[in-house]
Amino acid sequence: MASALATARDSVNDSSSAGSPILQARGLGMRFNAPEGPISLFENLDFSIDAGDSLAILGTSGSGKSTLLGLLAGLDLPTAGSVVMDSHDLNRLDEDARAQLRAGRVGFVFQSFHLLPGLTALENVMLPAELAGDSRAREHAASALDQVGLTPRLGHYPAQLSGGEQQRVALARAFITAPRILFADEPTGNLDHTTGEQIIDLLFDLNRDHGTTLILVTHDQAVAARCARVTYLREGRLMADSQ
Amino acid sequence: MMLSLRLLYRDWRGGELRLLALAVVIAVAAVTGVSWLADRVAGATEARAADLLAADRAVEYTESIPTEWIERAQARGLDTALTAVFPTVVLTDTANRLVSAKAVNNGYPLRGSLRTQPTLGAAEQTPEGIPQPGNVWLESRLLGLLDVEVGDSLTLGARTFTISAILSFEPDRGQGFSSLAPRVMFNHADLASTELLGPGSRARHKLLLAGPASEAVAFTRALANEQGNAVEIETPSEQGRGASEVIDQAKRFLGLAALLTVIVAGVAVLLTVRHYAERQITGVAVMRAMGATRQRVLGLFVGKLLWLALFAGGIGAGLGYLLHYGMLLIVADLLGTALPAAGWQPLATGWLTAGAALLGFALPTLVRLRDAPPMRVLRADLGSGLLRAGMPLLVAALVILALMAWQAGDARVTLSVFAAVGATLALLAAVAAAVVYGARAYARHLGQARLLWLSGFTRRPVTAVIQIVAVGVGLMSLFLLAVVRNDLLSAWQAEIPPDAPNQFLINIQPDEVDGVRNTLAEAGIDTNFYPMVRARLTALNGEPIQADNYDSPQARRLTRREFNLSWTGTLQADNEILAGDWWGDESNPPPQLSLETDFAEEIGVGLGDELTFASGGGQVSAAVTSLREVRWESFNVNFFVLASPETFNDLPQTWLTSFYLPENETAVLNTLIREFPSVTPIDVSSVLRIVRTIIDQGSSVVELMSLLTLAAGVLVLLAALQITGEERRFESALLRALGARGRRIRAMARLEFWLVGAIAGALAGLAATAAGMVVAETLFNLDYPFRPMTIIAGAGVGLVTVWVAGALGARRYYRASPMRLLREG
Repeated sequence: MASALATARDSVNDSSSAGSPILQARGLGMRFNAPEGPISLFENLDFSIDAGDSLAILGTSGSGKSTLLGLLAGLDLPTAGSVVMDSHDLNRLDEDARAQLRAGRVGFVFQSFHLLPGLTALENVMLPAELAGDSRAREHAASALDQVGLTPRLGHYPAQLSGGEQQRVALARAFITAPRILFADEPTGNLDHTTGEQIIDLLFDLNRDHGTTLILVTHDQAVAARCARVTYLREGRLMADSQ
Repeated sequence: MMLSLRLLYRDWRGGELRLLALAVVIAVAAVTGVSWLADRVAGATEARAADLLAADRAVEYTESIPTEWIERAQARGLDTALTAVFPTVVLTDTANRLVSAKAVNNGYPLRGSLRTQPTLGAAEQTPEGIPQPGNVWLESRLLGLLDVEVGDSLTLGARTFTISAILSFEPDRGQGFSSLAPRVMFNHADLASTELLGPGSRARHKLLLAGPASEAVAFTRALANEQGNAVEIETPSEQGRGASEVIDQAKRFLGLAALLTVIVAGVAVLLTVRHYAERQITGVAVMRAMGATRQRVLGLFVGKLLWLALFAGGIGAGLGYLLHYGMLLIVADLLGTALPAAGWQPLATGWLTAGAALLGFALPTLVRLRDAPPMRVLRADLGSGLLRAGMPLLVAALVILALMAWQAGDARVTLSVFAAVGATLALLAAVAAAVVYGARAYARHLGQARLLWLSGFTRRPVTAVIQIVAVGVGLMSLFLLAVVRNDLLSAWQAEIPPDAPNQFLINIQPDEVDGVRNTLAEAGIDTNFYPMVRARLTALNGEPIQADNYDSPQARRLTRREFNLSWTGTLQADNEILAGDWWGDESNPPPQLSLETDFAEEIGVGLGDELTFASGGGQVSAAVTSLREVRWESFNVNFFVLASPETFNDLPQTWLTSFYLPENETAVLNTLIREFPSVTPIDVSSVLRIVRTIIDQGSSVVELMSLLTLAAGVLVLLAALQITGEERRFESALLRALGARGRRIRAMARLEFWLVGAIAGALAGLAATAAGMVVAETLFNLDYPFRPMTIIAGAGVGLVTVWVAGALGARRYYRASPMRLLREG
């Protein structure tokens, strides 16, 4: 097992917060000012997720699930209510303080991968570790890529990789800092069915190995079903939480 | 910082920053090239100024230099040498001649060196030491005048000497009429035995000093305190002042020329960094989502820029070093002397320029990146307006202003150059915009099919205008120098007829005029003779003239020195009356004066003012009745002050004449010198040659600089191509998918390049011609013809330049396969 992932596992096992909510949303609402007047995307959402748990947010296109994911990750602030991450009320933090909270604690996987085109697969994975000041970033990145089966592709640029391979690089990048929470936004949205399934398998394997809390946004019922909990965002409300 | 370096390396490998770096390299090469050239030439000028004194400092005294002074100077670790210069007469068995004798002792010259020839016509050599006791060295013309050869003897006062060499060069010979008497140099040890220096003799004794500057200054200062006005201290700066002023001006001019390159390169930096920043927004959003703070993001980009400044500055300085060698080769024979070694300071200048260019032109854009919204990772539409701001342009303008102030070192020059450059750019941009938007409006009437042909040009009007202006500026400076300079030079040369006088004879006594005229006539030379009176201006409207009352140094000099005055009944063809009336052909007009107009303005004299001149005890007053403009470039004899005939009859006078003598027909001069020993010939044929050489070589240097400006202009073109690259690639792939053939797609691009190039070139030709006309009219007073050919040729050169650069730069965009559309969505 690669050392980066071993380190990640240790950090989860050490965590004393297992079983208690790592993320809470209280009365969460988001409104936009559109030319035709204010639009409410959703309002008064309440839920919490425990460390190590997995939650799928299902919804149709335009239902606001990506925006909700962004609010939960602290990428933006809600117009109503609050998000508490790891006992920190995000409303009380400015953008830089939220970034510092995310650093090393939060990982992302995106629908469009968001790999930097000028960087090789290895360098893309190294980047978060380098930003965190990891002096062995290269070594850790190589083993993370090994774990997603991309050792032969270390020196390839994103444009030279297939969609599935790019998403594997993105997974390795997401896990290299051993995050406690992983946010995944339609991780299979740009992939064919078979490749999508492989990626989801890999995502859940890594999630299990690392003991990471997973929050996944998707419109795919089958993908959502892999999570411990599923919730629907419909007409601005969360419904039918499965458990 | 190391992470910045790694990120920079990755950007570089991805080809992101190459144009940006190239722009900085070109800007730094221009600035450091000029800096190195100026440094070394200025160093050489200082060294040469010391040569002109033959010492670092000199003390002039009216009597023999006391031995005690020499000992005191040597005690301070200074090298010393003595010279004594005085007029005297040398005698041979058959001839005698007034000469300027110079006694020198061992060690002379302390700076620079003497050159001698063993016999007439032999190669020059640098002698070791000075004439041995009992020997003299003579200037070559004296051999002919005295009819002697090396090895013969001559008498100086009470002593007979042997002529042992021909003196062909002495560093401290000086210029002007005072140094016209031929030189005889001998050993200082023989001075007493000549018995020529009795009390009250007109000798100038000098103690030359060289060595540690502080000691030389301290010694001469102490001596000046003790002796007061009895001693005069001479410094190299006084000797070399004229030269260093010229060097200073040239340095400022070249500095500003280099700055033009920096400005154009700055435009390339602005364009490329904008393109780069746009491509970085998503990456920064990802980094911020991963937890990078705004400060961290900013730090990474500042770090990248500093590393880039370090590398590009270093490479640019290396190129600048080669460039300065190129410029030195061009001006090698103007400089003549060995140059001091190149210093390190220009390297610092290079890094400073690179830092200023990157932080000034690139950072204001990159700063905005730290505000890339992290939500962009989930919603791609966020943050797309991030880079829309006028701030980078404002900062860039301020940086340019600061760089100009640094190069020009003068607020007035800075502001006027900034305004001139700004106005030229604005004018070019306005005309370019008019053409591009005109074509756009016209294309709309042509219908869709033809619109396509003009699409690149009219669909990206802003880019097209920027390209036209940038390439236009580069071409304009090149045309101005290459074409207009040649036109100006030939126009100016056409003003000087091939038989313009190149010989002057002065100090002709009134009773010698007929004899000299006959001698010249026998050689087939028919020429005019002009009377001349040397007089001092003593009063203006009855009030005594006080030189110190004038502000301008030029006016102070004019009012202190003796004037050459003349009189005539007829106005020369190269003189034109601007105000008042010429006394005409009246046989006996009343005493009156005609002044050269610039001179009159300088000393503040106008029509009706009465001037009083004094010479040799006599005094004459007359009123100014006309102001003349003189075409000095005719090389004819001309005077600031002309009087009506007989005005100065009572003052002591000599005559002078000028004529053209073909280079190899100098026999008549020898005849003249033998028959009329007191007449002094002056050969000015070399002056014209030198002036032409200076203009030629000087402008070749600036031409080299403008090639760099053009290179920067081409970079702007490439930067603009890079920005539109994705669009071109998409268009090309789409058109291919719709069935267009590659040839047609390339033809469309070619048309766009042709239009941009031709318009830029034509505008550059027009602007260069206009600038040439202004320069010709205001500076040289020449009629400069409007040349449509320059504009047509300009359009051609621009077309080819942009076509070649564009075809090479954009080639890869047009190779796009239609498959890209499917792959990239």
